[in-house]
Parts: sequence; structure tokens; C-alpha cells
Amino acid sequence: MSDDDAELVALIDNELDESRRTALMARLAANERLRQRYDALREAGAPLAASLDELLRQAPLARLRAALPAGELVRPPRRFGGVAVRELAAGIVIGLFAAGLAAWAFGLFGEKEDWRTAVAEYADLYSNDTFAPLKPDHALAAAELSFVGAKVGADLTPENVALPGLRFTTAFMLSHAGHPLGVIAYVDPSGAPVLFCIHANHAPDAPLRSQRRGDLSLASWSRGGRGHLVIGHMPEERAMALAQMLEKRV
Amino acid sequence: MSEASRREVRAGLEPALARLWRYALVLSRARDVADDLVQATCLRAIERADQFVPGTRVDRWLFAILRSIWLNEIRSRRIREGGGFVDAADALTTDGAREIEMNITASAVLRAIDRLPEAQREAVLMVYGEGWSYAEAAAALGAPIGTIMSRLAAARAGLAKLK
Repeated sequence: MSDDDAELVALIDNELDESRRTALMARLAANERLRQRYDALREAGAPLAASLDELLRQAPLARLRAALPAGELVRPPRRFGGVAVRELAAGIVIGLFAAGLAAWAFGLFGEKEDWRTAVAEYADLYSNDTFAPLKPDHALAAAELSFVGAKVGADLTPENVALPGLRFTTAFMLSHAGHPLGVIAYVDPSGAPVLFCIHANHAPDAPLRSQRRGDLSLASWSRGGRGHLVIGHMPEERAMALAQMLEKRV
Repeated sequence: MSEASRREVRAGLEPALARLWRYALVLSRARDVADDLVQATCLRAIERADQFVPGTRVDRWLFAILRSIWLNEIRSRRIREGGGFVDAADALTTDGAREIEMNITASAVLRAIDRLPEAQREAVLMVYGEGWSYAEAAAALGAPIGTIMSRLAAARAGLAKLK
């Protein structure tokens, strides 16, 4: 390693301030050996980032995820001031379902609804930088989806969860109220996340419907003892269209 | 604030797992240790979620926890017990039983990184793997920027010799 190496590498990495950069560029212009050293160091570092990315692909994600501490996504919101009132509200919701009424129209959310509220709170935290760096190959995508599918009791493959205009980034497991909650994360071309969530919550069948919560659009349905949800920062019609595609395939 | 902290920490764990594991592997050069290190980091993060400042970078906070556990608990314990770490050749390119399938260039570069001293491996990972600036790496490692420059230059010089 020569005395100039640190400055040359900082120049390659665009980390020199203007005065040092100008001075070093002048020396490079006048010194052939220094230029050769600059080229050698630049070439040596060129494959570093891609090579280190290989290690990301080797990460044993299924094992690491399985070791994550279990627990609730969030504490259930106490919208009405206490557990007793919340349970009463849940009872009312169940009663409304039994009567064939749409409970959501009254703004009351029971236990089955809470998982969507929890996901919505999470989804609001994800940014365009959260999932965009993840670029799994087909084998990894298939392995992740197979793992999640087995947990929530659904057949998930890269093909049947593919959505137009969205890129699959990862699939992983959470849990809510003691039931497995699978999350499939996509990004649109800008990196904005869109989530397809499956909650094995034994919920009764419910038709597809959509709604807005803040800036988020949600489209959800229940079938086969599983709740399904498509959620993201997009128009409500787009969430509905994506959900309709997934409803036919999953 | 603590409820927001807990939510952000839990939301930030899953997307960071692969990167945490890579960092743990680069530090420890042992896949089983990397698994344990990531698990310990996640547990510690949840235990101390109230200390996380909402709105700041969860991934950086997790990296700092991982580094602290590595330096203060795992590595120091091994050294104290006289075992240290087995100087396994090519720890980054093999999983113990078989050669990881990867392209030849990546394999050669990772072998070269494998042979660097820990401080250089760590700087290389942060700047070239994570894309951090020199200042960010210096802050994370508690070292002057000049030290980061020297470590990166030494690492590149070592790689250049292989050409």
C-alpha cells in the first residue's frame, strides 16, 4: 500500500472535498505511475458491492424469521377507552354480522377487523426504501412463498402472486392475535410498497370490499378461514383490481 | 413515544434480517455465530425498543446493537475462554459442507475479503456493501474518517494484489 492509496481510494469513492480532489487530479494528470495505481485500486474495488450482495442471497431468512420473537404486531387500539368496552364492541360486531349487516358501515371494528388495522399501522411506516433493495431470484422467491404458504395454509408461488406493474420483493411471517399472518411485499416502479397479507384467523367468508384509511387503500376479503388484504398508497380502484386478481388465484 | 418506538423497531426487524446476517457473517466469519448474533440482536432490540428514537434509522440502530453484542459479548467471551475463532479458510464462500454456488468473480472477491483483518472487513462492508458514506461509517465504528480511509485503501490494495 502506497502513501497515496488512501487519497486515491477516497477520490474513487467521491469522498474528497473540492480542494483535495482538485490537487489530486492535477497530480494524476502529471504522473503516469499514480494514474496506474489509481486504475488498479479502482478495478480492485469495482466488484466489491456485487460480491457482498451474494452474501445477502445466502442469508438463511426462513431460519432467522422463525427465530424472531413471537408477539403481537401492536397492542389492540383502545378506541373506546378500555378492554371491556372493546369486547362489547366486538360482540356488537358479531351480532351485526349475524343479522347480515355490514358492521364496518357503523365504524365498529371487532377482533377480526383489528388485524387489518394493525397491518395498516405497519404499512404506514414502510417507505420507498424499505423493500426496494430486495431483489430475490426465482428460487428464493419460490422458497419464501412456499414457507409462508405452508404457515397460512395457502398455495403460494411466484406465478400465482405475480401482479402487473409490481415487483415481488419478499414474503415473511408475522403473527396477530395468535394466528399466523403472512406478508407478501411488492414495490411499484418508484419503490412504493404494496402488501398482500393473509391472516389464518378462521374468519367467516366475507366478500371483497375496499376502503380508504388515511392515505392508504385497502381491499380485503375472507375465504376458507383466511382473511386477505391488499394495502398500499394507491388509488382505491387499483387496490380493488389487484385484490380481484389475487382472489381468483390464491 | 415508547409505543411508537416499539412499533418502528418491530417493523424494522424483518426487512433488516438479511443485511444483519451479512454483517454478522463478515464480523464473525462463522455462519452459526452469525445466526446466533442476529437472533441476539433482535431480542436485544425488542427488549430495548423504548430507547429507539422514532423517526431515526432502525437499521442503523440494529447494526449498532449487533456490533455491541459482537464486541462486548461474543468475541470477548471467546477470547477470554482462550478459544478465539478457528481460522477457517474461506468462511464467506463456504457453508461448512459445500461451496456456495456463486459466480467466479464474487467468490474470488469474497475469499479476498475473508483474508482481511476484521477492521478492514467491517469498513468494506459498511461503505461498499451498505453504501454508507465515510462519515457514516466513521460514526458507526467510532473511528476518525482518516482511519476509515486507511482501512478501505488497505483493503483495496490487498485486492489489487490478487489481479
